[in-house]
Amino acid sequence: MLTRRNLVLAALAVPVASRVWAERAAPMKPRDLYARGGAFTDKARALDGQKVRFEGFMAPPLKADAAFFVLTQRPMAVCPFCESEAEWPDDILAVYIRRRLDVSPFNVRIEASGRLELGRYTDPETGFLSMVRLVDATYG
Amino acid sequence: MKLLTASVLALASASAAFAQDLPQASSQWFTDGQATLQAQLDRQPITGRAKNVILFIADGNGVASNYMNRLWAGQQEGGMGDDYVQPQEAFPNLALVKTYNINAQTPDSAPTAGAMNTGVKQRFNLINLGEEAIHDDCSTVAGNELTLFSEMMTDAGKSVGAITTARLTHATPAAVYAKTANRNWEDEVPADCSAQTDIASQLINALESGVVDIALGGGARYFVPKGTATPNGGEGHRPDGVNLVETAQSNGIQYVSDKAGLDATTNDKPILGMWTDSHASYEADRPETEPSLADMTRKAIEYLGENENGFYLEIEAGRVDHANHDTNAKRAMIDGKAFADAVALADELTEDADTLIIVTADHEHAIAMNGYCGRGTPIDGLCYDVAQTGIMHSDDLVFGSDDKPYTVVGYLNGVGSVMVEQPDGTFAAPEGRPEITQEEAQDIDYVQQSLIPKSSESHSGVDVALYAKGPWAHLFDGTIEQNVIFHVMDYAVTAE
Repeated sequence: MLTRRNLVLAALAVPVASRVWAERAAPMKPRDLYARGGAFTDKARALDGQKVRFEGFMAPPLKADAAFFVLTQRPMAVCPFCESEAEWPDDILAVYIRRRLDVSPFNVRIEASGRLELGRYTDPETGFLSMVRLVDATYG
Repeated sequence: MKLLTASVLALASASAAFAQDLPQASSQWFTDGQATLQAQLDRQPITGRAKNVILFIADGNGVASNYMNRLWAGQQEGGMGDDYVQPQEAFPNLALVKTYNINAQTPDSAPTAGAMNTGVKQRFNLINLGEEAIHDDCSTVAGNELTLFSEMMTDAGKSVGAITTARLTHATPAAVYAKTANRNWEDEVPADCSAQTDIASQLINALESGVVDIALGGGARYFVPKGTATPNGGEGHRPDGVNLVETAQSNGIQYVSDKAGLDATTNDKPILGMWTDSHASYEADRPETEPSLADMTRKAIEYLGENENGFYLEIEAGRVDHANHDTNAKRAMIDGKAFADAVALADELTEDADTLIIVTADHEHAIAMNGYCGRGTPIDGLCYDVAQTGIMHSDDLVFGSDDKPYTVVGYLNGVGSVMVEQPDGTFAAPEGRPEITQEEAQDIDYVQQSLIPKSSESHSGVDVALYAKGPWAHLFDGTIEQNVIFHVMDYAVTAE
């Protein structure tokens, strides 16, 4: 029987359930951020500033004690016959972490959570230019 | 000769008469086999002089990769794949090609393309220098420069084109016009090197001198100075401050950076087109603004076909190789289909009587197919078992001894190694081989499982196939050295 008390409890439960669902939903992938040609997707723009979760692979860090790492869609193969120098794929995500970087093998899938931030940013320590980042992130 | 002809006719009629008595004679397989036999008996070699030569190279697309592409293309059309015939597979002539370099059992793309363009095998990682030249040693360039098929064709009054889905300065297209002690000297040579210029400069020189008339692909950053924006919106890479795009334009070369620009070019001036700053897109990721390999093929043939003396055109599907290096088989097979589409278009736009078309690869990869899969098993997915009745595979996956399924396509080494680096630096698979679902295996970004951990999967020295049609295509037969390709091309365009 629907009573006012039940109605209030049900209304209160919706945001909680929604939040739980969001946390348990399948993680996003770096490719979800980019449309063909490299522009951001509508989904990426809609999530700017939001807390989000991604899965991917940790590219070999640019610096041992770097404040960030690069999350790649596929394991970051380095092909001497494809590239004359290190080259980043188009679908990457810079992940700025809260704590010290604990390096993961480049071909082991990981998940990272943080706040999505769109826009140009040049890392002051490495000069790495990112167009999109996860900030205040954790990973594992 | 008369006796031989009579014997062949007798054999054919005897075969047909004998076949009628066999219980299998009414089978579709049997009648198809008879039709193939008759087509072979009817085949006549084309022995006129070739006006045009088109050399198709799918980089890293050896026999195994080609098999994968065949099944993918066939399954995309709703079939089982293995009975599908790619356009080049319908060509009348076939050879197997040995791809090793002078000093490398496992070749790289620079000397392999060089062998096809000069008639001699070359040393690992250099392009179009004689066998005395040493990789990375500029002092060995002078006196070792080889004459290129493009130069010979230009002297013969023909036009020349190079198109690719890789960078135009990358090994395979570079072999059409460049001579370099190091394939990586794309926009810079060592400070003390004066015997050669960088590869991008050599392309501009070739366009200005008329050795190359049309060049389409990726790689604009090597033509634009560091700190200067490229026409594609990125940043240039040249350390010498020279803007080769402006140089080209000021010398009357049409420069274009997208499909609309390419469509708007005219056929009266050389064309240089670069759609990206590095390699062009994989076909799976290509935006509509970027020409496909078939789009480039059409433009190049229409442009070069204006020369009544004919043309030489090298067409490379460069990214089959890159996807294989990533052990990302799905992108490799999608690019393989785009390659086949370009082959079909070139065949349609030219005449067998005057155009020699060669379709080959420069080398194979460490790729192999697992078994035993039933027919119709998706080539981009897990291996399904052979059904006892009917034709299609059963609904049961095939498992390894570890009770886990596996994909049809696998690689011997690469980033998808089942052995992963442990905290102590050793490599192991403590939990065994990863489980895979069909959904994961068929994802566009899936990397196949492999054995040996490597940051990039390697080439292999296994033979590649060569398919040919047109004048003197029948000279491609048996198992040949890669440099023989040049000799047949040269014979075809000069034959009396």
